[in-house]
Amino acid sequence: MKGQGYDYLVKITAVDYGKSLQAVYFLRNIAENKDETLEIDLEYNDAWLPTAMDIFPAADWYERELMEMFGVAIKNRIAKRILLEKWDGIDPPFRKSFEWDKDYRTGVE
Amino acid sequence: MSTRINIGPVHPSTHGVLRLVVDVDGDTVKNVEPHIGFLHRGVEKLVETRMYMQCPPYMEKLDYVAPLSYDEAYVATVEAALGIEVKERAQYVRLIELELQRIASHLFFLGALCNDMGQMFTMFMWVFEDRDRVLELLQEATGQRMFYVNMRLGGVTMDLPPDFGENCMKLLSHLEKRIGEYQRYLEKNPVFMERTKGIGVLSAEDAKSLGVAGPVLRASGISYDVRKAKPYYVYEKLNFHVAVEHGCDNFARYRIRIMELRESIRLIRDALKKMPDGDALGASIKLIGPPAKNKIVTVSRELPRGECMMYMVSDPQRPYRLSIRSPCFVNLAALNHIAKGERLADLFSIMGSLDLVMACVDR
Amino acid sequence: MIDNIIFSIVSTWQGWLNGSSLLFYGIAILIYAIFILIVTSIFAYIFGWVERKLIAKIQHRHGPTFVGKFGILQNLADLVKLLSKEHITPDNADRILLTIGPILMLAVTTFMVLLLPFSPTLQATNLGLGLLLIFVLIAFLPIIVFLAGFSTGNKFADISAQRSVLMLISYEIPLLVVVAAIALLSGTYSISGIVSAQAASHWYILLMPIGFVVFFITMLAEMERPPFDLREADSELIAGWLTDYSGPYYALALFIDYTRMFLASLIIALLFFGGWSGPLLPPLAWLLIKAFIIALFTIIIRATTVRMRIDRILRLGWTWLLPLSLLNLILVYILFVA
Repeated sequence: MKGQGYDYLVKITAVDYGKSLQAVYFLRNIAENKDETLEIDLEYNDAWLPTAMDIFPAADWYERELMEMFGVAIKNRIAKRILLEKWDGIDPPFRKSFEWDKDYRTGVE
Repeated sequence: MSTRINIGPVHPSTHGVLRLVVDVDGDTVKNVEPHIGFLHRGVEKLVETRMYMQCPPYMEKLDYVAPLSYDEAYVATVEAALGIEVKERAQYVRLIELELQRIASHLFFLGALCNDMGQMFTMFMWVFEDRDRVLELLQEATGQRMFYVNMRLGGVTMDLPPDFGENCMKLLSHLEKRIGEYQRYLEKNPVFMERTKGIGVLSAEDAKSLGVAGPVLRASGISYDVRKAKPYYVYEKLNFHVAVEHGCDNFARYRIRIMELRESIRLIRDALKKMPDGDALGASIKLIGPPAKNKIVTVSRELPRGECMMYMVSDPQRPYRLSIRSPCFVNLAALNHIAKGERLADLFSIMGSLDLVMACVDR
Repeated sequence: MIDNIIFSIVSTWQGWLNGSSLLFYGIAILIYAIFILIVTSIFAYIFGWVERKLIAKIQHRHGPTFVGKFGILQNLADLVKLLSKEHITPDNADRILLTIGPILMLAVTTFMVLLLPFSPTLQATNLGLGLLLIFVLIAFLPIIVFLAGFSTGNKFADISAQRSVLMLISYEIPLLVVVAAIALLSGTYSISGIVSAQAASHWYILLMPIGFVVFFITMLAEMERPPFDLREADSELIAGWLTDYSGPYYALALFIDYTRMFLASLIIALLFFGGWSGPLLPPLAWLLIKAFIIALFTIIIRATTVRMRIDRILRLGWTWLLPLSLLNLILVYILFVA
C-alpha cells in the first residue's frame, strides 16, 4: 500500500461483532487526497496481527491500544507498559463480553 | 550521565494529567515517555450503552477547550448513519459556531504556549479576555457558556438570535485588531523568537509517517485540511485558504494558529454575508427512525486540534461501536520524536505548541 | 530627619566608645541593623504588593482586593498562611543544609544591605573597598542556591542548582568588568565615594550607558528576575530549588526574593543614578524613590517576556555582555580617564 502513495496512517481500530473480531486500518494518500480502509478479520479467541510499526511508525500507540482494549496480540511486540488502562485477567474492556455495568472487583452485577 | 526525572501527573505545564518520564543528560532531553490514561473514561464503550442522542454531552467532555467541535463531529456521524440532510441555514449556523469555537480554542493555545515558555500568565490573561467575548457570543447563540450541546439531527437546537450578525461582526473586527497586536508583540520579542525558531523540528516525512494531525501537520509543510480535502457543509462555497507553513518548528506551529485565526474570521464574515433565511432547527429526537443494523459510517472533521475521524458501526438503538480518532492522541505520540535532543526547557514549549488536551488524548 | 536621629544616637555611642567598651559600639550597630531591617522589610512588603497590583493591571485584572484596602494586607495574609503550615523535610534530604540554606541566604542578603550607605551620614561603616566586598558577597548567592538545591535531594532542585552555577559563570565576569569601569571612573572603591563622585560630575548612567545596560541585565540575572528566572522556572522545574521547601521556609524564600530585589535596585541606584543626591527631599527618601522606580521596571519586564534558556544565557553572557562590558571599560578609559 505504501508503494501506491498511501503514506499516512489515520487510525487503527477494531470492532467486536460478537462472534468475530475485525481490525480496521485507515490509510490515506495525502498527495492525491484518497482514503483507503483495510478490514482484517481476526480469530475471536486467538486474535493476532502483525505489527505495522516498521511501515507506519504512527501505528505504535494504536497497536498498544488494540492490545489493551481488544486483547489483540501484536506479533513481535511486547507491551512495555500500560498505555491507557489494563484489566488484568478479565475480558478486554472494549469487547462485547465485557459488561459495562458489572463491578468486576466484587463480581456483583 | 543521564538522569531520569518524572514530570507530572500534577505539574504546572502538563495541560491536565499527563505524566512524562524524561531522561535528561544535563539539560538535553534523551528520551521522553508519555504515560497517559489518567483521564481514560472509556467513552467509546460508554456510548455503546446510551441512546444516540444521549451521547453528545459525553462527546463534549472529550475536549473541554473546543467542546462544540466534538459535539458536531458526533452528530454528523449519526446523521450520516441515518441519512439525514442538514438544512441549509443550519449548515451556515453550524459553520459559524464551529469557527467561533476554533477561534476560542486557538486563542487559548496562544496563552498556553507563552505560559509554557515561562511568561507570567500575561498572554494567558489577555487572550482569555478575548476568548471570553467569543464565549459570550456563543452563549448568546446557544444558551450555554461551556458545554453547548447545540447540535440536533438535521439542524441546531437554537437558531442564531436576531442581533447576532451585528455583534459578531463587531467582535470579529475587534479580534482582528487584537490578533495583529499579539502577533506584533510576540514576533518583535527576541526572546520569544529565540525560543521558537528552529525548536522542535518535525520534518514533512516524519510528520507523515508519525501521522500527526491538524495544525502540527500543516506546520510541517503538508497541506491537508479536511475542510478543503473533504468539504463538508458549505466550506466549499466559502472563501478561505488552508494555512501552511514550511518552518516545521515551534514558530511555524505558532504561526499556523495565527493564520487560522485570520482564516476563521474571514470564513465567518463570508458565511454571515451568504447565510440564507429559513429554518435551522433540528428534528426532535423521537421523530428519527432507527438506522440499519451494522451500517458503517466514517466521518472526518477538522477540529481546532486536528483531524478527528469518527468511525461508527450502527445499531437500531445505540451505537454498536464508535471509534474516535483523537488528534491530540497522535500528536502526543509524536512528542518523543520531536523533543529528542532538545533542551529540557524546550520540551514544554514543544508540548505547548502541540496544543494538547488530555481528555482528548485519553478519551 | 530619621537618619539624623540615628546618626546622633550612633555618634553619642561612638563618643562613649572612646572612653568605654566595645559593647556600646556593638549595640549601636545592632540598632542600626534593626532600623535597616525594618526599612528593608517595609520596602519588600510594599514592593511585593505593588508587584502584584502592577502585574494584575498589565494583565487586565484587579489583583488582590479582598484583604485590607486595595488588598494591601494580602501579602501579610499569605505570610500568616505560610507560617502556619508545616515544614516537611524529605527523607533523602540533607537536613542541616536544607535548613540553613534560606537562612544563610537571608543573612548574606541583609548583610549586603547593611554594608550599603543610605545617606552621607546613615551608613554602618564607610569601607574603602565596599564595592568589591559587595560583589564578592553577591557571588555567594548562587553558591547558596546550589547548596540548598542539592541538599533537598529533589531532581528538579538538582537541575536548578546546576543552572545556578552555570548562570554564575556566564554573568559574573561582565558584571565585574562593569564594576571595574565604575571604579576607574570614580577613582575609588568606596560606595559613598562613588556617589559623591557622581554628584561632582554626572550620573554614571549618562557617562556609560553601555555599562548600565550590561549591569542591569546581569543584575536581573543575579536576582533571578525574569527573563532569567531559570532557577525557579515554574513551567519546567515546578519551583526549582524551592520545590521541597514549604511553610515558613517558603515564606522566608519569598521574603529573600523581595529583599534581593531591594538590594539590587539599591545598588543600581547608588552606582548609576547618583545615589541619594536630589533636591528638597531628604537623602534617604531620594535613594528609596530611585530604588523603587528601578524595581518597577523589573516588574514590567517580568510581566511581559518569556523565559530565556540556559544555553542562550551562556551565549548572551559570553558573546554579548562580556565584549560590551570590555568595550565600556575601554571607552571609559579613553574618554574620561586618559
